[in-house]
Amino acid sequence: MSGEANWDAVVVGAGAGGAAAAYGLCRRGLSVLLLDAGPRFDPATDYPLTESDWETRGFPERTGSTGKVTFAPAQGLIGQEPLLASGSRGLGPMVTNGVRLMDKYDHVRGIGGSTLHFTGEAHRLHPAAMKIKSRFGVAADWPLEYAELERYYSEAEQLIGVAGPESQGARWRSQKFPLPPHPLSYAAQTLGKGAKAIGLDWQANSRAALSQPWNGRPPCNYCGACNNGCPRADKGSADITFIQAALAAGRCTIRPDSQVVRIEAGGDDRVTAVLVGRADGSIERIACPNLVLACGAVETPRLLLTSDGLANESGEVGRNFMDTLFVVVGALHPEAQHGRRGLPSDAISWDFNAPDAIPGVVGGCRFYNAAGEAELGGLGAFALRAIPGWGRPHAQSVRRLWGHALHVGAIGERLPNRDSRIDLDPDARDRFGMQLARIASSLGESDIARLRFMAKKSHELLAASGAERIYESYSSWDWFFATHVFGTCRMGNDPGSSVVDAYGCSHRWRNLWIADASVFPSSGGGEAPALTIHALALRTAEQIRER
Amino acid sequence: MKRRNVITLLAALGLGGGAMLRRALAALGQQAPEPTMAAIADTMFPGGDGLPGASALRLHERLMAMSDLQDSIGKGVAWLDKYAAARGADAFVALDEAARLAALDAAFASTDDGMRPFVFAMRQHLGQLYYSNATVKKAFAYTGPPQPDGFAGFQERPR
Repeated sequence: MSGEANWDAVVVGAGAGGAAAAYGLCRRGLSVLLLDAGPRFDPATDYPLTESDWETRGFPERTGSTGKVTFAPAQGLIGQEPLLASGSRGLGPMVTNGVRLMDKYDHVRGIGGSTLHFTGEAHRLHPAAMKIKSRFGVAADWPLEYAELERYYSEAEQLIGVAGPESQGARWRSQKFPLPPHPLSYAAQTLGKGAKAIGLDWQANSRAALSQPWNGRPPCNYCGACNNGCPRADKGSADITFIQAALAAGRCTIRPDSQVVRIEAGGDDRVTAVLVGRADGSIERIACPNLVLACGAVETPRLLLTSDGLANESGEVGRNFMDTLFVVVGALHPEAQHGRRGLPSDAISWDFNAPDAIPGVVGGCRFYNAAGEAELGGLGAFALRAIPGWGRPHAQSVRRLWGHALHVGAIGERLPNRDSRIDLDPDARDRFGMQLARIASSLGESDIARLRFMAKKSHELLAASGAERIYESYSSWDWFFATHVFGTCRMGNDPGSSVVDAYGCSHRWRNLWIADASVFPSSGGGEAPALTIHALALRTAEQIRER
Repeated sequence: MKRRNVITLLAALGLGGGAMLRRALAALGQQAPEPTMAAIADTMFPGGDGLPGASALRLHERLMAMSDLQDSIGKGVAWLDKYAAARGADAFVALDEAARLAALDAAFASTDDGMRPFVFAMRQHLGQLYYSNATVKKAFAYTGPPQPDGFAGFQERPR
């Protein structure tokens, strides 16, 4: 047991937020201990994309690389939603029992966190989405303006080497993207023709993947498998960007396989230490002059709640949980596309991204080329999902139609509600005796209305592109499969309705900070959150230094 | 069933060995399901156009080695044999291809306990194994490992 602090700050969680916070602190002269419950992956050896069975492996599972969660009873499904019901022609409906399938909180624990398996979209939030309460009457406002975040966005983009287009409309920029946009894949070009036919803007997505060499890293070679881990290190995951930069500063110590099981608090409104579970089951006490939590919107509230409800003076820890509101639709095109070739999510439409862009419902969405993620399962997944039945007719259809798939995805604003939250499961604990996080997720009527719009427009885009034979469709209406999660330690100016202030500092505990998507007051209109998490964490790090 | 035989069978299932399972079933005096499983595999994924059928790739043996499928396989094979017997055949393996397809269709449509999940599981496991087999994938474009080369022509019409 140690009573003396060896570091200026302890950062818990080495994903998008923790890595950026560690870098920001080190850059400003502070020493940092960066802890993560999961392992350290080696991009050169851990991602088996050169193996012949690559498509059946996915992102590698390692000891401790996935946290356990439980789910509260699932929401019942009301009525028939033919555009939203998940399933495929080959496998049939996913859900037949009338309740939402609570499937997975899809994340990675480890050095780099979920950025290790993310697609790598690098999005700034729509400025209007940060004022969704005052302008549109729903969710909560962010206690800061887009303008206050802009320079941190730029700093993160520069460090990562984000490739993007000249302009992204309302997301004004003080400087250009560091790298030019990636060329569109053949499938994205096909979808682009359809988008043009129905009046949708269709542009290169901004991506945390290198279009040119950057800081000693090679450019992307368009293998399409970002979600399985990037062995070339051209994808801007946190382990090879922020953490490398933090290490280069010489003041960062990284400790994988170190799960924080409890936070200790003192009598002067300061936290004093964290208790860390070691691989051998023993517990180590580490003193922390400053503590930054960056475990994500599921594990950060879990850690606070299990530490006797630390920082929960408002009762809002775990509340306002928002998960990924998504639709993915796949259809067959008359001509071969082989859409997995190229950068996943290489093209995007922002036309309906503003909070008031979708007719009749508040909260925006965006559409994108979803071939990369949807087709990662390779030939086997296509044969089973796209073509029903078996026997010779099935075999002939697989031969004829392989490569003809096109996929459109949409992600939208997910509004918070009182029925969606994280709490502690009284009946489930981990190896250190810590209660597991329990996820409750319930979609509101406006979320479902938004999903209907997203599905309808996805069908329109596919049809306009020439792909009219829909063979699969998935949505969060009946399938909880969350990659982006937000909102369980909301930031705000009012200590009575939020957990942290505009800089991520606990309203009460003066040296307790949060730097992950749990602080998001709203989810945004479908933007990938990693870049905003980076920017917020850099801002938080600067504030820690100043205070 | 004698206790010793039960132990032998359980051991075989626990170890997941197809050969052990066959020996165990043979010791019990029951027909080993391998020919039936091979027939199911080839009926579902028959190959053709230069491709081997699923049994030639011995994929049915991979399923027989999956311990969590044994109960379902046992029930499914018995159901298919019973179906064949009702139509005057000795067993499922004695049916011609069209009749085997009809039997699998009937099993999938059946409300009998476990039959639809059995056919679904056979299709899922055999199909995934078949279409991720290196020999089969070679007949399809763009199925090789994505690295180290990536897709240089990703902007172009597929070859």
